[in-house]
Parts: sequence; C-alpha cells; structure tokens
Amino acid sequence: MIEITRRQTVGYRARIVAYLLALVMGFACTSLLIWLSGASVMEGFSALFEGAFGSEEAMLQSLVAATPLIFTGLATVIAYRAEIWSIGQEGQMFAGAMSGYFASLYLGGAPMVVAVPVIILAAMIGGALLGMLCGWLKSRFAVNEIISTVMLNYVIVYFLSYLLAGGPWTAEGSTSYHQTALLADNFRLPLIVSDVKLHIGFLLAILATVLCWGILKFTPFGFEIRALGANPTALRFKGVNVARTILIVMAVSGALSALAGVSEIFGVNYRLKGDVLTGLGFTGIIVGMIGGLNPFGALIAALLFGALENGSLYMSVLSDIPPALVPAMQGILLLFFLSASVIVRYRVRIRRASYV
Amino acid sequence: MTSPTLEVTALCKSFGSVRANHDVTFSVDAGELLCLFGENGAGKSTLSACLTGLYRPDSGEIALEGTPLRLSSAADAIRHGIGLVHQHFVLVPDFTVLENIVVGSETGLFVDFASAEARLRQICESYGIDIDPNARVEDLSVGEQQWAELLKALYFDAKLLILDEPTATLDVEGSKKLFRIIDKLKADGVAIILITHFLEEVMQADRVAVLRQGAVVGIKKTAETSPEELTRMMVGRDLKRQTRQSTPMGTARLALESVTVEGLGERPDLDDISFCVHEGEIFGIAGVAGNGQRPLMEVIAGVRKPKSGIISLDDTVISSKGVHAIKSMGLGHIPEDRFAEGLVRDFSIEENLILGEHRGTFAKGGLLDFRKMAQNAKRLIAEFSIAAPSGETLVGNLSGGNAQRVILAREMQLASKVLLANQPTRGLDVGVIDYIHQCLFNKKAEGVAVVIASSELEDLIALCDRIGVLFQGRLMGIVDARKTNLEEIGLLMAGHALETAV
Repeated sequence: MIEITRRQTVGYRARIVAYLLALVMGFACTSLLIWLSGASVMEGFSALFEGAFGSEEAMLQSLVAATPLIFTGLATVIAYRAEIWSIGQEGQMFAGAMSGYFASLYLGGAPMVVAVPVIILAAMIGGALLGMLCGWLKSRFAVNEIISTVMLNYVIVYFLSYLLAGGPWTAEGSTSYHQTALLADNFRLPLIVSDVKLHIGFLLAILATVLCWGILKFTPFGFEIRALGANPTALRFKGVNVARTILIVMAVSGALSALAGVSEIFGVNYRLKGDVLTGLGFTGIIVGMIGGLNPFGALIAALLFGALENGSLYMSVLSDIPPALVPAMQGILLLFFLSASVIVRYRVRIRRASYV
Repeated sequence: MTSPTLEVTALCKSFGSVRANHDVTFSVDAGELLCLFGENGAGKSTLSACLTGLYRPDSGEIALEGTPLRLSSAADAIRHGIGLVHQHFVLVPDFTVLENIVVGSETGLFVDFASAEARLRQICESYGIDIDPNARVEDLSVGEQQWAELLKALYFDAKLLILDEPTATLDVEGSKKLFRIIDKLKADGVAIILITHFLEEVMQADRVAVLRQGAVVGIKKTAETSPEELTRMMVGRDLKRQTRQSTPMGTARLALESVTVEGLGERPDLDDISFCVHEGEIFGIAGVAGNGQRPLMEVIAGVRKPKSGIISLDDTVISSKGVHAIKSMGLGHIPEDRFAEGLVRDFSIEENLILGEHRGTFAKGGLLDFRKMAQNAKRLIAEFSIAAPSGETLVGNLSGGNAQRVILAREMQLASKVLLANQPTRGLDVGVIDYIHQCLFNKKAEGVAVVIASSELEDLIALCDRIGVLFQGRLMGIVDARKTNLEEIGLLMAGHALETAV
C-alpha cells in the first residue's frame, strides 16, 4: 500500500533533491515537445546550453538577462509573503521605466553621477506610487488586488503606447518604431563589463536580494510582513496599522519592479520602448514562486530563467526549434517546481498493508 | 459471550517525537455508552481519528465485532459501520443537508435523491430531529449544523458511533435532546463513544476511560466513581476550586459613559453602556453569545471605535486613542478567538510573545533583538508552564490550552492596570481553567481592574465581584455576585430588567 504522510519539517537536502528532480523532469517534458515539433532534441539543448553558458561572454549575457527578473522576482516575494497577491509587477516596471525617462527629460546636461541616481529614484517613486494605489484601493475599499493590479497593467502599458505612437515621447521620424530617441550617454547605467552590457543594475539586484532577505528576517517591518501574510487580524488586535503596512509593502514591491524597468531601458536598450519590457513582470511572478518566496530562492530562479532566456536566443538562431517553445518551457518548469515544493512536504512510503 | 462491538488493543500513534496515543486498550459493547475523558491534548481526538480511518496507528489492533480491522480512509470506516460526528464541522456550506450526506458516500454513478430523502426524513422523525433535508447548510445555525453532522452518521446505520465534543455548540436544551437520542441509539444496540471534558456529560455514560498524556490511566463504571475522582485521574493531582478573595476594592479605574457602537444593521452593537470597574475588582460580563460581549471588549481595547460616549482609564480618555496607545497605558486583552485574533499560527512561540511589542521592547537599532526574544520566551514558557519543546515551536502545533497560555503570558505582562478577558476558558479543560482563574486573581490582588466575559455563569459567580448582563447590546443590569443566583442572571440575559439591580 502507498502511504502518504505529512512531514513535520522539511530539510534543505530534501528540497534541493526535489527541485533538481523537477528541473530534470521539466527538461524531459520539453524534450518531448521539441521532438514533437520535429527538431533535433540534442541540437536544441546543446544550442541552448551553448548560448547560456558556452563562454564567459555567454554567461555574462545570462546575468544581464537575469537582472530585471531578480527585481520583479523580489517584488513578488515581498508582496506574496504578506499574502498580497499582486499581479502588478509588469505595470509597475513600465511605470518605473516611464518615470525614469520622464525625469531624464529634465536632467539635460547633468553629469552622470547626478543623472543616474535621480533617474533611479524617480523610477522607484513611480513604481511605488502605482503599487500604493492598489494597496490603498485594497485597504480602503476592499478592492481585490489581483483585479486592480491586472487592470492597471493595461492602463500603464496602453498609456506608454499612446506616448510612443506619435505622442509626445515619440522619437522624431520614427513613429512606426514606437520608441523614444536614443538616451544621452550621461543617462545610461555605468557598465561593469562593457562588451556585454553588464551594468550596475546587476549589482543593485544582488544588493536588493540581500536587503530583502535581511528585512524579512531581521527587522520589525519584516516581522509585520510575515504576520500580515499569516494572520492580519491578530496584527490588528495588537495595534499594528494594517492599512499602512499594506501600503508600504505595495510601495516596496512597486519600487523593486520599477528597478527592473530601469535596468532594461537605461542599462541595456538605451531607449524607452514597450516590447523590450513585455513579460518581464509576469516572469518575475514565476521566478518568485519557484524561489519559494525566499529572496535568495528568487535570485537563483532568476539566474536560471535569465540563462534560459539568453540561451533561447541562441537556440532559435542555431536550430529549427520554434522560439515559442521557450515560454512553454518556463511554464512547464513552473508546474514542476510548484509540484515539487508541495510534494516535498510529504513522505511517500510503499509498504505492506499491515501495521500489527 | 459475544465479542464487544469495538475492541482496541495496545494502540500507539506518534507524531514525530510526540506520543499522542500510547498503549491504549479498551472496548465498547453493543448498546453501551463509553466516555473518553481527558484534558486538551490528552490524545482523545487522535484516538478517534485512528478509529475512523483518518490516521493510521503505528501499532496495535482495532477489532470490530471480533474481526481485526485495517481502515484506510474515512469512507472505509463508514463502510464498516463506524460513524464519527466531528468536533469541527465538515459540511459543504453550499450544499443542502441531503446533498452533504449523500454525495461522495453513495456508490454507483447516479444518486437516488428521492429515496435518500425519504430515508433521511424517516430517520429525522424516529429520532426527533427537526431539520429540513433540503435546507442549505450555510443557512443553518451552528446548533442545527451539529444535528446535520449527527444525521450523517445515523444515515449509514452505524454500529459504532463516535461523538467528538458534540455539545460544545449546543445549548442546554440541545444537549438534553442529544442524550435522548443517545439513549434511543443504545436501545437499538449501537455502541457509542462520547468524547468530552464536561463532567456532567461524563456521568451520564455507562463507563469512562480517562486519558492522560496519550495513555489510558483508568476505566471506571460511572456508578462506581465520582466526578472528583475522575478529575483527579484526569489531571493527576487534586484540584482546589478557586473562589473569590475579598481584596478591598480601590477607586474607579476603568469607566465607560454612554458608550454606543454602531452595528451592521439597524441595531447598534452596543447601546448606551455605562459602568465602571475599580482597582482590584473582577467585573463579569454575562449574556447569551452575540449580545455585545465582543464589541464591548473590542471598544475598550481600541480595536473598534465608539460612535459616541467616553471610555476612560484612570481619568485619561482612551476612547479616542488607538490600540497601541491604550495597550501602552497598561491594558492586556485576551481576545475571544485565540487562533483567529490572538495568535499567528505559523509563528513560533517566541514571535507570538512579542507580537505588538516588535517595534518597541524587542527592537534594537532597527532590528529585532533575537537574544531578548529568546530570553523572554524562555522565561515565560517556564513561568506560565507552556508545554512545548522550545520557544521555536510553532504555535499552530500547540494544544488549545497551551496556545491560550501563550496569549496569557503575553497579555498578563501588559495588564498593569486593566485586563480584558473574553471567554478565556472556552473549550479548555479544568486544569487550564483553574490556572487561568488563578492568573485573574493574581491580577486582582495587584490592583488591576479585570473584565471577564464568560458563558460559564457558575464561574462568573464564583470569580467576580459584580456581574453586568448584556442583552442585545444593552446593559440590562449589574448585580452583586455575592448575592445573585443563576435565575436572576438568567432572567436578565433573556432581556427582563430587574428592579433590584445593584
């Protein structure tokens, strides 16, 4: 008889084994898809691997691709630990990029040491405000945050479309491209490795990971975030202003998402356009979930997804595998990781049907 | 001689290092009512879960009518004729009573609702249960849901019926009715196991098995024992019932003047309440559940705001202050629902003990002071005899009594002037109740004004100096606990004003 019992505690080793198995199973399922699409599995995977880890340059490129995902992943971790189910990482990232760009319009010839921090700050404020709007709607009018964040995602993305499709921000003579003019040099994030555009955003992301971890674990505010997620009523009975806590959580989550927008626009693309951002917020949700809502977990998941993203570019060039398989692969991995995170809490034993 | 309906031999069940049941042996005959009696966490619920297939015992044997049984699921238990009435309801709110009973347990592809309904009506009639099979469960009162649970067990012709704390949600009339049904079931040859910690109910059984720390410490015929002996067996020591001490009362400490709190509907939750509690006084709040006890405690603690009226503590107006500010003035609040309002299940004992003080006493340089948290927990665990392996134990893993001790430990520290306790002993066994009463007396001796709401009127009369009775949000009267009796309070609770109120 197969017996399933709940474990009292789950060790790190069991977790790691479970996640590695999930990774293997996820790749196995993807192989099946590749095989069904008629391409060569081996060729596909070796191209993917080559693109992601094949050289020093490839690896650095993977880090560049991972950077925005670390931010949106952390944004997910902070909100979800408080059991605020925000889907607004995408919109907040757009809002961040747009606020940063807006600030840059007034920075003219300011030197980089002034311009970049101001842009980053403006972006964080923009993302935080959008997050706080949803937090306020939730605590003041009990508007479900899933609805408000999803809807505001559309509002923001279409607002950017308006601004870029012949609106005030459209680059002269490039209406059909839906993008702004190239950013001046002093607005660009300084590079750590210039060939591959590994910019300081990556260092900020690592710093943010450590900060988020420390805040959750060591500070009274982190204590409140966790308590808010576990039992807001008890928190209210002990005199904590729950509405204010929700506002701050959404502000932090929004500011983190905004940083993803800044890194992509001011660190990599050097002009504001929508399609380079699309999806990074939603992928951040997957990253946060796979990371077990732990900041370092999210960091690892983001690095994995960055590598996948980067490798997939290579794969689509070098093999016949349709690029659409990459998001499918991410989805498959998410399913396996989430299953693993649940299953690891149980002990499955097969034994003879007797306990006498 | 025929085999007993149920025979349990040397049953053991552990969860990790916790031995929930150890070497449990007992039997129940057809037509017999056996009571399982024990403190919270003595292993009663685990035992019933083992008997109904929810848990698998680690070792030992369960035999039904002489045949060894290995139950793999609850449905399996039902097939073998073992019915369980849960302490916590397991009904689907959107379904009717009939659907709840039939769906998921009938075999075959289609359900014959018509015949099932006829059968259910017939059961209702023969046992005198007045419930409409087609009523939706969410429309039923808590008491009626309890009957629906019972119907579920009766529907399947149980040979053995296990009732887990069935009277917790019933009123006096309901309990009497339940015992009438039990008598009829006994006459029909059903073996019944009643799990309870109410002594009155225990004495109505044929035999009692007393559980302590997971083991059976004795099986007695009720005719040959006494409530005192059973209590001694359950707790493992003698209990002295606490009674009021005549500490002199000081000046007014907590005062409410014409306090009104708005309700959801037309009627206010609290309507023009005025009273004061003195230093060293225990003030009781009596009333049928839902007549304003909760809003009263919450408005004093600052969780809710009054629409009008003034609340003051030592001449300082607190009705305009927030929870945190009021608490800091020396007010402790033991809320009614310990897991929903008092504790965070997923937090450790350490963390729960600093809830509310996490930005004050237990923060240092913007970070949580983990060393202080650990010391605090260690001290309070010892002082309040919280049974837990360590301060890092999750509160969700504690029994009700120990969880309540965690709240008690936290709130007693705060309560230097006022202590509010809303149903502090509900669902707890006599050992813990005794302890909580002792804590209240200690506070009284320190000159704290104590306000306690309880549904146990006898406890209120024994504990309090004065008792205020609430009816539909109004204070019907305040009586002197030394001179009052159950009848007088009962009349006030039913909304009859008294002329002789003190």
